[in-house]
Amino acid sequence: MIKFIAKRLGSGLVVLFVVSALTFILLYTSSGSIAQNILGDQATPEQVAMKEQELGLDQPLATRYFAWLGDALSGNLGTSWFTSEPVANSLATRIPVTMTMVFSAMILIAICAALIGVAAAVKRGWVDRAVQVGAIIGDSIPGYVIGVFLVTILAIQLGLFPATSTISPEVGPEAWVYSMTLPVIALLINGVTGGAQQIRSAVIKQLERDYVRTLRSRGIGEREILFKHVLRSAAPAGLTVLSLQLIGMLGGVVIIEQIFALPGMGPLAVTATGQSDLPVVMGVVMYTVVVVIVVNLLVDILNGWLNPKVRVS
Amino acid sequence: MKLGPKAAAAALVLSASLALTACGGGGAGAGSNAGGGKTVTALTLGTLRDITSWDPAQAHVGHALQPYQAAYDSLILREPDGKLSPMLATAWKYNTTNTKLTVDLRKDVTFSDGAKFDATAAKANLDHFKKANGPQMAQLGSVSDIAVVDEDTIDINLSAPEPALEYFLSQAAGLMGSPAALGTDAIKTVPVGSGPYVMDKAASVKDSQTVFTAREGYWNKDLQKYKKLTLKILTDPTARTNALVSGQIDATLLDPKNGKQAEGAKMKLETNQVDWSGLLLLDRDGTKNPALANVKVRQAINYAFDRKTILDQVMLGQGTPTSQPFGKESGAWTEELENYYSYDPAKAKQLLKDSGFEGKVTLDVPTLPGAETLISVMQQQLADVGITLKPGAAITNTFTADVAAQKYQALFFNLFQGEPTVAIDQIVSTKALYNPFKNTTPELEAKIQAVRTGGDEAGKLAQEVNKYVVEQAWFAPLFRVNQMYYHNDKVNVTPQVQQAVPSIYNYSPAK
Repeated sequence: MIKFIAKRLGSGLVVLFVVSALTFILLYTSSGSIAQNILGDQATPEQVAMKEQELGLDQPLATRYFAWLGDALSGNLGTSWFTSEPVANSLATRIPVTMTMVFSAMILIAICAALIGVAAAVKRGWVDRAVQVGAIIGDSIPGYVIGVFLVTILAIQLGLFPATSTISPEVGPEAWVYSMTLPVIALLINGVTGGAQQIRSAVIKQLERDYVRTLRSRGIGEREILFKHVLRSAAPAGLTVLSLQLIGMLGGVVIIEQIFALPGMGPLAVTATGQSDLPVVMGVVMYTVVVVIVVNLLVDILNGWLNPKVRVS
Repeated sequence: MKLGPKAAAAALVLSASLALTACGGGGAGAGSNAGGGKTVTALTLGTLRDITSWDPAQAHVGHALQPYQAAYDSLILREPDGKLSPMLATAWKYNTTNTKLTVDLRKDVTFSDGAKFDATAAKANLDHFKKANGPQMAQLGSVSDIAVVDEDTIDINLSAPEPALEYFLSQAAGLMGSPAALGTDAIKTVPVGSGPYVMDKAASVKDSQTVFTAREGYWNKDLQKYKKLTLKILTDPTARTNALVSGQIDATLLDPKNGKQAEGAKMKLETNQVDWSGLLLLDRDGTKNPALANVKVRQAINYAFDRKTILDQVMLGQGTPTSQPFGKESGAWTEELENYYSYDPAKAKQLLKDSGFEGKVTLDVPTLPGAETLISVMQQQLADVGITLKPGAAITNTFTADVAAQKYQALFFNLFQGEPTVAIDQIVSTKALYNPFKNTTPELEAKIQAVRTGGDEAGKLAQEVNKYVVEQAWFAPLFRVNQMYYHNDKVNVTPQVQQAVPSIYNYSPAK
């Protein structure tokens, strides 16, 4: 298992390096005159030249990349060109907001999707049909539409939750929870309906397998078959779906954070990209790649633990 | 805010249970601070973006100035109607050649770090602004040096007359920070000024909210109307609307579409026209598009637009049709130019015929994000007179550099209508970004020069520049856009001339 994890980690680091180099090249060769953007439309050519020198943009691309890489390896991701804030600080204050929201949604998705999916697979009949109809409806409504709906009803009309974030050091955890509730619900609805559908299919597929028939013929109870054998075999499919949902959620969370004015990674990514704040964009890309690598690694490890054949392959 | 594992777990459990039971209370917003019939002590404003640096030399103009006004005083105060009044400067006077401005300063002002404001501090700030390479560095471009005359007097010496200098001293260039903090890294994240409020760093979250508290012993209590000021950063207009109607903020800037929702929630509206929208016909010498060199073609474009209909249909009537690019409060505005190009498709067709470019005019314009509908309406109206408008790729973050590099022969844009020389240096003079092909004539140069040396008459003299560019159809303005500033009934708001959002001094608790 250790060799398996080491191999996965190694390939993850290679991916990280390649993505960083490619992103750096693409960003720094296609962003036009960043100095002009920073200084605005009143800036003279002399001012622009001075700013380019200040930012090191007069250096060759390779020199800049290896300087960035060297700093990044020591934990220094540079400084924002527009806010003068160290990129690592920006990420450190924003990642907890985004990841708390994403992981809260994922845990709820996992629990709800498993319960609903298994219920649909086992009960079939109207429960199954309801789940499938729900999956279609849930999949067809984008998270941001759900978000706007929730804000309108629960925040503005009923006043149960704040319409936008109240996350700040001056408010207690209660206000923080209130701020997170609607965004988490907006994020999880698509995930629950999609996840339940996948888990339903995986469980039905397992229930139709020969080993289940054999277990039943030995007189083993349905509950034991389901929880001890079927769910273990169906889990890899569910885990893969969940990991894909988590990765997809990193995109969806951008819009949700905008709607709810949450100071997470989404607004940072949008602002930095719009301004061509390249040190910040690089930081956001690296964060995203690391999350994707870690999630895939965890799923691989879990799948390997559930199914030893995966480790061999 | 960082959460420990236990707190995160508790938050998760709580959020799940709240979600399932749909119970709980509303967030603590401006309303709860201010409500209940108690004295209003807090003001919460929804702003469009966080500032980039608290270094006053990195400040911007107009509505982008608002956060800086909380922490910094400026030398000159700009009243809501644009009149310039004393602030840290008690009086100022030009010499006879308009090349030296002598400024008298207050003696009773200190900065938040305890340093005293005096002539040396003022000089340090102006010198810092001149070399800090901020976005408005050009404001002091004509300043050759600053001389300390005595403890409370400075001379600002100019290499050439600058009619907008007093205006600039009410904007970014006039902001005064503590000399000890200028140029340090610390001032980039925490302001150190003499202003009515001091930043509460612990309660502030970058790109989310900036919290200020009233400064003890501030020299002018009339400008310090609240005990607490929060600037809540809400980039998304829907989020701003939601925050306003749910009582989380007291005031914010919205657009016509979201404004309807705010009006439904009985929010009050203050309108103010700051920008003009329209086509900039940039290639007036025909370098890339020979048709644009012909004034009749440019005039035909102007006659092709039914401005009132476009405004009503696309902007829900929020604005005023116009044919001139200079603003109403600039002094350069004249009534006769307001409807200089009335909707006349027959005349447009005739002009095209006379120009020899009939059926041969094609305008390539980039697509301004959010203006897709407007551009397609313009496309239709131009097509009606035989001109082809081809919308190109969306404007990107390289836009400014692309304009400077003469990438666009024409352009649809919204532009600020500022003071005469500011507007001239933005869209007319050969150093203006929005005159990338450097078009000019001796006649126009003479008119511009007259404005620059015109002193108090600059606005009136700029009417000639305005008339010239309108007659020569350098632009095809469509309308001045209403900036729609909404607020609740807990606050009185006075709009500020030439600013989308009011200055920080223009808010007061409603009685």
